[in-house]
Amino acid sequence: MTVELLLNGRRLELEAEPAETLLEALRREGVTSVRPTCGIGVCGACTVLLDGEPVSGCLVFVARAAGREVTTVEGLPADDPVPPAFAEARAFQCGYCTPGMVLTASSLLREQPHPSDDEIAAALGGNLCRCGCYVKIADAVRRAAAA
Amino acid sequence: MSDPRLNGGIRYAQDVELPGAWQAAFVRSPHAHARVLSVDASALPSGTVALLPEDVAGLGRYGCQLKDQAVLASTARFAGDIVAAVAAPTRREAQAAAQAIEVAYEELPAVLDPLAAVAEGAPLLHPDSGSSAEDAASIGVRPLAGTNVCHRFRLLQGDVEAGFAASAVVVEETFRVAGAQHAPMEPHASAARWLPDGRLELHTGTQTPFNLRADLAGALGIEEERIRVVAPPMGGSFGSKTFTRLEALVACLARKAGRPVKAVLDRAEEWLTLNRHPAVVRVRIGAGLDGALVAKQLDCWVDTGAYADCGPGVATKLGYSGIGPYRIPHVRVDSLAVYTNLPPNGAFRGYGATQSVWASERTMDLLAERLGMSPLELRRRNLLRDGDRFATGEVMHDVHFEECLQAAADAVDYEQDPRGKGLCVLLKGMQTPSRAAIAVERTPVGYLIRCASCEMGQGVRESIRLMGAELLGCEPGQIEVPDPDSDSAPYDTRTTSSRSTHMMGRALREAVADLHSGDGEQGHGEVQNEGGLDPDTGQGVASTHWHQAAAAAHVLVDEETGEVSVEHLHAAVYAGRVVDRLGAELQNEGSMIMGLGTALMEQVEHADGQVTGTNLSDYNVPSIGDLPGRLTHELIESEGAEAHGLGESALPPVPAAIGNALASLGFQLTELPMTAERVLDAAQHGSGVR
Repeated sequence: MTVELLLNGRRLELEAEPAETLLEALRREGVTSVRPTCGIGVCGACTVLLDGEPVSGCLVFVARAAGREVTTVEGLPADDPVPPAFAEARAFQCGYCTPGMVLTASSLLREQPHPSDDEIAAALGGNLCRCGCYVKIADAVRRAAAA
Repeated sequence: MSDPRLNGGIRYAQDVELPGAWQAAFVRSPHAHARVLSVDASALPSGTVALLPEDVAGLGRYGCQLKDQAVLASTARFAGDIVAAVAAPTRREAQAAAQAIEVAYEELPAVLDPLAAVAEGAPLLHPDSGSSAEDAASIGVRPLAGTNVCHRFRLLQGDVEAGFAASAVVVEETFRVAGAQHAPMEPHASAARWLPDGRLELHTGTQTPFNLRADLAGALGIEEERIRVVAPPMGGSFGSKTFTRLEALVACLARKAGRPVKAVLDRAEEWLTLNRHPAVVRVRIGAGLDGALVAKQLDCWVDTGAYADCGPGVATKLGYSGIGPYRIPHVRVDSLAVYTNLPPNGAFRGYGATQSVWASERTMDLLAERLGMSPLELRRRNLLRDGDRFATGEVMHDVHFEECLQAAADAVDYEQDPRGKGLCVLLKGMQTPSRAAIAVERTPVGYLIRCASCEMGQGVRESIRLMGAELLGCEPGQIEVPDPDSDSAPYDTRTTSSRSTHMMGRALREAVADLHSGDGEQGHGEVQNEGGLDPDTGQGVASTHWHQAAAAAHVLVDEETGEVSVEHLHAAVYAGRVVDRLGAELQNEGSMIMGLGTALMEQVEHADGQVTGTNLSDYNVPSIGDLPGRLTHELIESEGAEAHGLGESALPPVPAAIGNALASLGFQLTELPMTAERVLDAAQHGSGVR
């Protein structure tokens, strides 16, 4: 089946099986910033923005993304304060969870420009970081909010 | 954003694409212990390839410390052991093909606990291989023939019986630590291809490229120089991607298929690949009324699972780490690495220290209570100082245990009010002996530094750039540090044990001196640290310098639910000289958070010989919501000191600090993790602490 969607502002036509997830389809397209990790939508490493909302790519059938806007970390606007804040705070180690963290944080700040620490924790609770960068990640989100 | 970790541009082992590569899937035993009677691939779909017992019959055994593993198991020793493998154009096709393979088994009795495994009449897991001293890959391994003990480490200092007899107070307790799963965010990923000239090329997430190369050479019967190992950055590892994991399988599949083969594990398979050693540690300690320690005995049963892997090394390290940073005239340690019919256990951040430090430091607080003394005062009275001898006989130098302990105590105002607060001090060693070499080349824009240190998020490449920049007089950005490649990188023991910044820093100094004394175009440097322990007496040099830290915890307990709330967690870590400050902070923070997981949340569970909860929903690792109210730490430096590794130091002290905090509130726990159920149980039944 053919699924047409917008990926980072560019129209994309995907040939996909009905049972394929958005994560699988994006990986086949060569997007390596979305990562197959837990398979059950609890870790956030496959986070994409679907019409601006963070979702787990492994839980979305690719057909459900038809006609919609998909954003990965490569597609964030150049003036998004989150990536430079992460760089300044050094809010990453291996970097594997980082795209998902950045997308979720970016979405949070658009929704809530001045989040409390509790709101930051609630928003990012679905993005796991086994390297344990949460202290600096929270710091980065606060920096981005203040920018 | 130029950093590839931020802009999504980084390529992990999982992302390696070898043109024409097929994907692998594995056929795993459903039984904890069973002889493979037959493997029938007659229903294999066309357009797929299977790796069967007859394909690997002539290959050698492998293993980093004992050669007790085969490429395909002819006797399955754990539920999940790989008995056949398949390669196909896609992962889905490979998995479907794996389902088509029929395996007949003869079930054997299984043993699932290390104490049961050493009991009379226990089924032997490796009757003809692991128990033979001839199979020991290193002279320091001591298997006990005819048993499930693949290594016995002993340490003897003084006369413990006399010591206990002379002690005013003797405390004894037994502690248990559950297994844990590293759960790196990136799963295991390896790809292999055979080149036209017959060489084997591997692209694999590994911390140990040269060990891997040596192991594969033995298993496949080819020379080491005919194997090339390239190590891309890993999305976390924490010890899970060490030694031979999938590499022999993908190499054999690639040879059979006549094309490259790549394997990337599903999350559930991670629990069937490598976990952290569960342990039972019995501590007996004697002291005078003034609190001076007189005698200490440790008996340790370290569950290494179905294959030894580095269990002998872990059992040794666990054994001497459990003595603690204390002056004790009489010490006896008996630490056994024991086979069980569960997935193999191996290197895990902390390398055995976490398990024995839990037991040892909880016992210190039990002893303090018996003596009517402050736990802080008891430790201060006995901590090792410069010039003291450790129980291995080695003289301690560059010692900062008291400073770490005081800093941790001060951070939580322990002396003002110790209620709800707990302390822990850590002595941990660095891999000794070991060897590290590094090469520097001038380039048009700066320099290229080649070494075999593998990047897994710890920031070793950044440290090398910073140290190189300082020595070479250039900017860090002018230094390129490529992926480790065994064809071009000089030898390094391995990227474990928090040794790389220290060892490569020293090797780099040599290499730059070599470059400057020559034509300025290239330089090579190599350093060693010498020593090691006699496995029968525990005497020698355990570590050429020591990793030192202390932690303090302030906790509250919900008496209705047993839930523990960590109000404040602090770690004071001795760094010697900090190379990359932000990187070092991240190591402390990450270690503490991982320690929190071990303390309160994580346990590998099994039922009827099957590992259960093999997913990140049932097996909880800390999320941002699990952070303590306050998480603070400090890096202690000393004028003129050498860089001390700190990739692990802030992890092992965390569980005991929390456990001791609970003990101060009357909740005596002996088992990790400290789940709400166990806390409630401790309240109701006193948890049997004597």
